[in-house]
Parts: sequence; C-alpha cells; structure tokens
Amino acid sequence: MQKEVWAFQGDNRMDYDLNEEQQILRDSARSFLAKQCPGTFVREMAEDEKGYTSELWRKMVELGWMGILFPEQYGGYEGSFLDLAVLLYEMGYVCLPGPYFSTVVHGGITLLEAGSEIQKGEILPKVASGEEILTLAWTESGGSYAPQEISLKADLHHDHYVLTGTKLFVPDAHVAGKIICVARTQEPAGDYEEGVSLFIVERENPGLTVHVHSTLAGDKQCEVEFNQVQVPGENLLGELHMGWPVLQKVLQKASVAKCAQMIGGGQRAIDLTVPYLKEREQFGRPVGSFQAVKHHCANILTLLDTSKFMTFQAAWRISEGLSFEKEASMCKAWVSDSYRQLVALAHQVMGGIGFMEEHDLQLYFKQAKTSELAFGDARFHRELVAQQLGL
Amino acid sequence: MDFGFKKEESELIEEVREFIEQKITSELVEETHQLGAIYGGAEAREFIKKLGARGWLTPAWPRDYGGLDSSEMVTYIIRDEMAYAGLPLYFVAAYNAGPMILRDGSEEMKREFLPPIARGEIEFALGYTEPQAGSDLAALNIRAEDRGDHFLLNGQKMFNTSTHVADYHWLAARTNFDGPKHKGISLMVVDLKSPGITIRPLITMAGWRTNEVYYDDVVVPKKNMMGEKNRGFYYLMGALDFERMFAPSAYKRLFEEIVDYARETVFNGRPLSKDPLIRQKLAQMAIELEVSKLLYYQLAYILDREKIPNYQASMEKMFATEVAQRICNTGMEVLGLYGQLKKGDPRAPLAGKLEFFYRSSVVETIYAGTSEIQRNIIAERGLGLPRG
Repeated sequence: MQKEVWAFQGDNRMDYDLNEEQQILRDSARSFLAKQCPGTFVREMAEDEKGYTSELWRKMVELGWMGILFPEQYGGYEGSFLDLAVLLYEMGYVCLPGPYFSTVVHGGITLLEAGSEIQKGEILPKVASGEEILTLAWTESGGSYAPQEISLKADLHHDHYVLTGTKLFVPDAHVAGKIICVARTQEPAGDYEEGVSLFIVERENPGLTVHVHSTLAGDKQCEVEFNQVQVPGENLLGELHMGWPVLQKVLQKASVAKCAQMIGGGQRAIDLTVPYLKEREQFGRPVGSFQAVKHHCANILTLLDTSKFMTFQAAWRISEGLSFEKEASMCKAWVSDSYRQLVALAHQVMGGIGFMEEHDLQLYFKQAKTSELAFGDARFHRELVAQQLGL
Repeated sequence: MDFGFKKEESELIEEVREFIEQKITSELVEETHQLGAIYGGAEAREFIKKLGARGWLTPAWPRDYGGLDSSEMVTYIIRDEMAYAGLPLYFVAAYNAGPMILRDGSEEMKREFLPPIARGEIEFALGYTEPQAGSDLAALNIRAEDRGDHFLLNGQKMFNTSTHVADYHWLAARTNFDGPKHKGISLMVVDLKSPGITIRPLITMAGWRTNEVYYDDVVVPKKNMMGEKNRGFYYLMGALDFERMFAPSAYKRLFEEIVDYARETVFNGRPLSKDPLIRQKLAQMAIELEVSKLLYYQLAYILDREKIPNYQASMEKMFATEVAQRICNTGMEVLGLYGQLKKGDPRAPLAGKLEFFYRSSVVETIYAGTSEIQRNIIAERGLGLPRG
C-alpha cells in the first residue's frame, strides 16, 4: 500500500498533515466503511430503486456524520470543513452510494449559507437525526450551472409562489423530503445573475413529479418536473432575487467537497492497482518493473498527490474563513481532469482484468466521470479562474 | 493542516522583496540572463556577497558555519522570491556541495569551506557528468589514483557548467577501479586553477556556455576528499533528495507577462484575453503554477520535520519543469508569429523574453535528473515498484 502523503506529524507551521482528531475520524471511517460498503454493495445499490439502505443510513447517523458541519444548536458537531473533507475522502474511497452528499452538502451547505434561524432550526436538526433527506435542484435542459440556464419560473400569487419548469440531474430527489429549488423570480434584464431565488419545496407537493435518470455510475440523478407547484412565501430561502451569490458560494464549497470524494477514489484506484503490478508477471518479471508501466504509475501518483494538495488547500481556506473562490475553482478544474486521467491510466496498467465488471476499478472509472461533471467540469472552472485572474 | 506562512515567514518575504527592489540592478539581471547563472560575472560576485552578508545564501546552516539556524522554509521562500525576480539561486557551493560537506565532511573541511561559501566569497562548479556517464552517473570513469598524500587525476568531464568562472570543482572521480561501479567513487574539492586542467567551451542553444573539462595529471591533496573514500556515490544519491528542487516562480513571472500581453493586445477587435480558448489555456497555466507551489513548499515542510523527501523531490522537479515548458508553449501560442522575435528586434513582444525562455527551457527537464529518471524514482520509491 502506498503510504498516504499526510504521514508526517504536524506542528503550528505550514502543515500538510491532518490533526490528531482528523486522523482518528479517518481511521474509524475507513474501517467502518470497509465493512459496510464493499464493492458488491455499491453494485447492488446501483440497481436498487432507492439507491441506499435505511440500515446503513441509521448507522451513519449514529456516528454523527449527518451533523458533522452543523452548529451544536442544530444538533450538529460543529466540525470544520476540513473534517467534512476527511469524511468525504473516505466515502469516495469506497464509492459510497446514497444521499449523504446531496443531504449534507447540497442541502446542508445551502441552508447554512442562506437559511433563516427558523428554517435552519426546523430542518437541520432533522437532518442531523437522519429524519430528513435534502437535495438541491439547480441545472435544467441547458445542462450547465451557469445563471443563463435558470429558467424555471416562480411567480408570486399573494402569499405563495407558483413554480413551473423542469430540473435535470437533481441528485437523490426521488428519496428527498425537501428539494431546494433554484428559480427565476425576475426576467433577466441583461444580467442573468439577478432575479434568481431559492425555495424549499416539499417533494410530496402536488404537481411535482420525479423521474430517475439512467446514469453511467448508477447514482440517482433525477428529472424533477414542477407543474404549478405551490410553495408558501415563508419557504423562500434567502433574499428574493438574490439567490445567485448564495449559489456561487455553494458551488465553490460543494466543488471542494466533491474533490475530497474524488481524491479518496483516486487513492483507492492506486490501492487496487499497484499491489497487482508487483505480483503479476509477464515475460518472466513483474509488469510493474517495466519502465513504460512505471512511468504511467509515476504519473498516477503525481496526479493523486497534486489533487490532494489542491483539495486540502481549498478546504483549509474554507475552514479558516479565508477567501477561497480562486483556490476552489483551481481545485475543481485540476482534480476533475486529474482523477479521470488517473483512473484511465490505472486501467491501462491493470490490463484486461480491470475491464471486468466484477473488478472494483470500473466503479472508480465511473465515479471519476460523474464527479468531474458535477458542479462544473474543468473547462467551466477554468473560465472562473480566468475571471479571477482579471482576464 | 495549514497552508499559510507563519508571521515571521510573511515578514521575511516582505524583507526579501524590499532587498530585491533595492539591490537588484538591470545590469545584474542582464548579466545573469547572458551567463545563464547568477555567478561568474562582476555584478553577480558583488550581489552574492550582499546576500551572504544577511545570511540569506545559507539560512538553514548552523550559525557556526555562517548560517542563521533557520528553517528550510526560509531557504525555500528566499529562493522562490529570487527566482521570481529573475535571479534563480542555483549555487553549487551553497546548495549542492556545502550541504554535503555539512553532513558528511570533516570538521577541518567544514571550517575551511563553509564560512566563505556562506559569505558568498567562493563558488563551486558541479563535476559529475562525463561523456559516457549522464543519467547513469555510476558509469563515470575519470581516474583518481591514490599517490599517498594526494590523488593524481586523469580523464574528462562534460557539461560542467560554470567551471570557467567558479573557484572550485566539486568533483566525483573513480578511486576504485575493480568491483561494482557505484562502490568506487569519491568526492573531492579541486582548485580549478590547478595545473593540468583544461576547460573548453560548449555553447548551448540557449546561448549559455557550459564546458568540457580535461584533467591531465592533476594533483589533488588528500585532505580535499570529502568523507570516506569510495563512498562518494552514496553521498551523491543521498544529497539528491535534499537538493533536488525547482523554484516555480521563475516561470510565474514569465506567465504574468504573457497574461499582461494577452490583456493589452487587440486581435479582431477584442483583446486576446477575451478569446475563450486563450482564457482556458492561461487559466490552466495559473492552476499548474499553483500546483507547483504546493509541491515546492511540501519539500521544505518535510525537510523541517527532519524527514527526507525522496519521491516528493523528484515529483516537484519533474512537475515544475514540465509546467515551465508548457508555459513557454502556451505563451508562444498566445504570441503567434510574434513569438519568434528575438530580443533586440524592435517588434519583439516581452522584449524577446519568451523567445529566449522557449529555447532555454528545453534543458529544464534534462539536467539534474531527466523527467524519465524522476518518474523511475517516483514509481520505485513512492509506490515500491520493483527495479527493472
């Protein structure tokens, strides 16, 4: 097994390592998930209608994972963003299926960013106790996170809004209790970032229909149709017309959170591949001793180490309350490309056996592409970096 | 985790920047550019002493030998700031030979060489490569025959840059002619003014000079041997882990100039920087520079914990030098036809700087261990893959 890069004990100087609590969190999550989420479970859940089991969900609740990021007053553990990143890394390591990410990251972070005291007080404790599953309905037929693509309309009728339109690629909407919906409340007059608002919508709402897409990785992304869905005025999340700045923050934070999952998956791809290269012989010697194979492996390790640093730097900046927009976009751009390339190289050095459905490497190939597309791919984030550079 | 600088380190960066602003002249930058290294010229000799006087040449060395007892982080910060200013510090004495003497040399040798190195008074040139010993350094065969109180040297070195301007040759020579190649090499300090040394220029495609060095019955006193006889290859391999690094900001400055050019240059009625393809490429370079920075400071982080970076040093050197070449290529795409204009041409953008870096960067992925050698090290030490 490759020694993971944060093996050095840190002090108060520049520090590339996890602190002691984070190491404990990592180790306990690693052994728990190794038992609970083998590759067979991941494949089963890809076929399963719900895509997760209540039994495992319960256990994760007991471990306090749902409330890792929430303040104590909402039943949370007040962990840092870095703590969340450590946990997501381990979830990525086993390709954990289910609505954890959509609930805690999509839903949880959006509520933390924009929710009123009442909204947070009502919803977050239920998330922490495992009773509430959340998601965020953002993208539409344009297939992009850009503000130009928001056209689902929310019209005010006295004390309530009426939502009409279709959302695509909404994660886990089929099992969510509440869907945070990104809607247009004002026709754009030049600036598409204006006039966007967020609403908390009950999935049971009449007029709302959910259809699960058939996807590459078997994760549950949904088409959600809003047909004259009535939403009470108090379900407006954040200020009217001012949803976009909230979403920008959510996008950046969720991108870094996604990268944490991705680097966990990248580590697993290495752990699945490298030991095999030391044992498998061709031409009378281990294939890992051939220079062509070694160079692929050197590139794999470089892609992984650099992705870890970019992710943890961005997560650290978020944790410390520093500006993080540029670093987060740099991170998502770099990790999106790197993780895909890393797994592709892992497949190349694994040879035919890695192409078999029963080999776990293919799970990571799929996870890499799905994660790359979520919250904007490398091209999307490079454009944001270009803006940050003042281009 | 913590990816920020400490307060003292941030203050140091400010101090170094102030120093650079005050002490660096355009003549010095020009001279360094011409020579390909910041020594050998009159301007550089003066400048090095000013840097040495502050202890900034060798800050991590013990005070007894002219250092400041500081962290390696300090050294890395200074070297990156200097690289950004167009004066990358690659002193053989301060960064290759000196640290080896500090670790494995006799007390006498330390006293003789380290303080003047720290003060910037003497400079070494590397004497490793030979015509048949490039990546395979253990194949070197310049002969050093044991003649009692001295060695008698005969043979040839190649690509030994700066030997024509340095004071001493930091020489790897064969002292055992039987047995395994890597168990017969010793390291020694040779006065480059010794009788029997002939230095011939080799001119690179960057315009810089490097050299062939011929040894013909050259006498080297025994006391100039570093550490134990025939252990030289082990010292060298150990040292590579400490000294292998590439300060990424040398090319950060070039990148910023390319960005400025893209902003200011109008093509088809709009600035080049508004072209979506160019935006993508420049953003990618900014990202790769950020990655390089994290790899670079990781090395200082490891060293300051008294650990030895090995595959990490190879990864940093490989990555940063490959980024350097990609920045040059991207810059050339941005400049188009103008990219080929050399310094001195009145229409040359960036005063011909990119044309120059485009040529000179070719060697970055070759010297100090090629990218291929680095990948072997990453695979073998980082992942434990078997040697071929």
